[in-house]
Amino acid sequence: MASYSKFPICFHLSKPFLSPSKPSKFSFFHNTSISFQNIPTKSPPPLQSSSSSSTQLQPIEELPPKLQEIIKLFQSVEEPKAKYEQLMFYGKNLNPLDTQFKTKENKVEGCVSQVWVRAYLDKDKNVVYQADSDSVLTKGLAALLVNGLSGRPVQEVLRVSPDFAVLLGLQQSLTPSRNNGFLNMLKLMQRKALELLIEAEKGSESSGNGQIVNDNSENTSLDSKVDENSGAVASSQNGSEENSSGLGSRGMRIKEKLERELSPIELEVEDVSYQHAGHAGVRGSDGETHFNLRIVSKEFEGKSLVKRHRLVYSLLDEELQSGLHALSIVAKTPSEVEAK
Amino acid sequence: MEGLVVKLPSFPFLSPNISSSSSSSTFRLGFRRFSASISAAVNEGFVSLGQLTRPDFPILHQEVNGSKLVYLDNAATSQKPTAVLKSLQNYYEAYNSNVHRGIHYLSAKATDEYELARKKVAAFINASDSAEIVFTRNATEAINLVAYSWGLSNLKPRDEIILTIAEHHSAIVPWQIVAQKTGAILKFVSLDENEVPDVEKLREMISTSTKLVVVHHVSNVLGSVLPIEDIVIWAHAVGAKVLVDACQSVPHMVVDVQGLDADFLVASSHKMCGPTGIGFLFGKSNLLLTMPPFLGGGEMISDVFLDHSTYAEPPSRFEAGTPAIGEAIGLGAAIDYLSGIGMQKIHDYEMELANYLYEKLCSVPNIRIYGPKPSDDIHRAALCSFNIENIHPTDIATFLDQQHGVAIRSGHHCAQPLHRRLGVNASARASLHFYNTEEDVDNFIQSLNDTVSFFNSFK
Repeated sequence: MASYSKFPICFHLSKPFLSPSKPSKFSFFHNTSISFQNIPTKSPPPLQSSSSSSTQLQPIEELPPKLQEIIKLFQSVEEPKAKYEQLMFYGKNLNPLDTQFKTKENKVEGCVSQVWVRAYLDKDKNVVYQADSDSVLTKGLAALLVNGLSGRPVQEVLRVSPDFAVLLGLQQSLTPSRNNGFLNMLKLMQRKALELLIEAEKGSESSGNGQIVNDNSENTSLDSKVDENSGAVASSQNGSEENSSGLGSRGMRIKEKLERELSPIELEVEDVSYQHAGHAGVRGSDGETHFNLRIVSKEFEGKSLVKRHRLVYSLLDEELQSGLHALSIVAKTPSEVEAK
Repeated sequence: MEGLVVKLPSFPFLSPNISSSSSSSTFRLGFRRFSASISAAVNEGFVSLGQLTRPDFPILHQEVNGSKLVYLDNAATSQKPTAVLKSLQNYYEAYNSNVHRGIHYLSAKATDEYELARKKVAAFINASDSAEIVFTRNATEAINLVAYSWGLSNLKPRDEIILTIAEHHSAIVPWQIVAQKTGAILKFVSLDENEVPDVEKLREMISTSTKLVVVHHVSNVLGSVLPIEDIVIWAHAVGAKVLVDACQSVPHMVVDVQGLDADFLVASSHKMCGPTGIGFLFGKSNLLLTMPPFLGGGEMISDVFLDHSTYAEPPSRFEAGTPAIGEAIGLGAAIDYLSGIGMQKIHDYEMELANYLYEKLCSVPNIRIYGPKPSDDIHRAALCSFNIENIHPTDIATFLDQQHGVAIRSGHHCAQPLHRRLGVNASARASLHFYNTEEDVDNFIQSLNDTVSFFNSFK
């Protein structure tokens, strides 16, 4: 059976964010019923599936209900060609993904075709997905995941083991290589769900900031109407301004959030969107799309460069979902700065 | 239809004591009568080269996903004949031993065979001396060798390196790295109206600032062939060197480094019916002699002290550590096999197949084939990269594999800049070798048409 050893590693992200008051919510990591053969676990023995197959698949009952339906449907279709037709049918009926969400952060790595996945939480804190691809078969696979996982609680989504792909009988979903788009799609969807949950948790602690992105999606259309105004604001700046009056609304939000979360001793937020004004990704957003950030904070101590960047990205995730295109980040600790 | 089936033999009578590479006639002698019967069979039209050689390739005789395998991904890697498989097995069974240092019988035998393989490579590409052949892991490593060894010690700020936008990533990235370190500048030649690198432009770009020209011989995407002799003449006129990426040419046609007068030439064994894990760099002796080592370690040294070491002469200077001995010998066996058929014969057959493939592909509606249209002046290699309107190449490749057992490749084929210039993210590619047949092409086209109707019916 294929090994998915990379699968749990992406969750190490969660450690710094665990709020001490809620250990139980994330304890499922240790009591998980996900079974991986090659990882020495300190968890209780994985659940045996009722069929005595040696592969120890996650029992189908554990999967989100819609996903179970989809699996059963595929199992009932025996002929491979018909399976493809079914797959393509799903893809055809997938809701289109707005171009503004076709960002690097939403792109699935390791696909020969281009696949984007967007995730947000609805008002009940369930994760909702949207996806698109230029390849019809990949779009079908994406649609399958979107239909199967959307509207479900984050924990349920996180528990899904990619093993279920076997049950579909679609061969290309099975190879565990890094080029397995299906596996990577699922991983990305799970990672985004986790990040959303963490963000929401954080948000609900400090009042008013756990904005459910539902509101944001309505706001983005508002924002694009306000395009010209904020566009003008953005272009009137000329580069590095520590003067906060030079920033537009997004710039201000970024500054506030970083100040609140990281208590930096130095913080520079520079809107460089004008440098990217020609890009496809910029059109349709509110003009504030590219920022340079320079942050000196104790929060970065003990964290690798990658972890520091991840921290900043996760704090600004909402912005990234709603038109922020790219960040250039310099993240230092106070001691690193003094050493100069 | 019945015809002669002459099974190509492995060549056990090859004497290991061949002294010089120019005595190619010595080991070709035995092959002549075999080649003659092959020629006869093929010329009389009884059976094609593909049909004749297929039995030598065990891997081709299998089913995948319920259909007969049709392997059309040879530009990615070629299949190996039994002769090569046997030589690998024989090496490990009979005389595996570390080379160059041992006194004992096995070690001497292994060394002899290893060095014989080097001579075979030299003879195969008509190098004047086997010391001009450096064994590497593959062509990519060979290019890196030139970049780090020759490049770092010869390039200065503002020196120019000319490449084409159709180069394989392995011919671009090492030079980007070295250019960054040395301050040299990379200049790229774009395509002309035939979708071939613009040779006239290239000629114009060559100036006294040019220190190196890096070009492919045959493009793995466009199927085009560049006039290397001319390019070398223009480059040498300004004192520039030429590095030829011959990965797609050495396996398919006669390549003569002295005729081309190339300074450096690289190729990979696995594309020419040899095992993976071995490739080679050809470098003119006078160049290799001036080059500092690439990787350091055993084998490439002369004397080692605590504070410094002295280095061996080329090619050993560039072969640190225990080499891929069995694989080199396997490559030698592959060369024997290919020589037994004759590279010219292989080339002629593949030209026919190339034209057949192109013609047949053109008949598929809404298809766009990249590269030049074949004509009397323009020859295409036996490969076609293409896209079909409104169908993603990955979908095509997946369906062809799953439903028809046809193996092609989809993606950027390690040529992202080229694809960007062509305006696409990816393309599908079918590439042939001498063991493919017209039937393979027919099968492919039929399956492709089925694939296209399947996806179109869904729109």
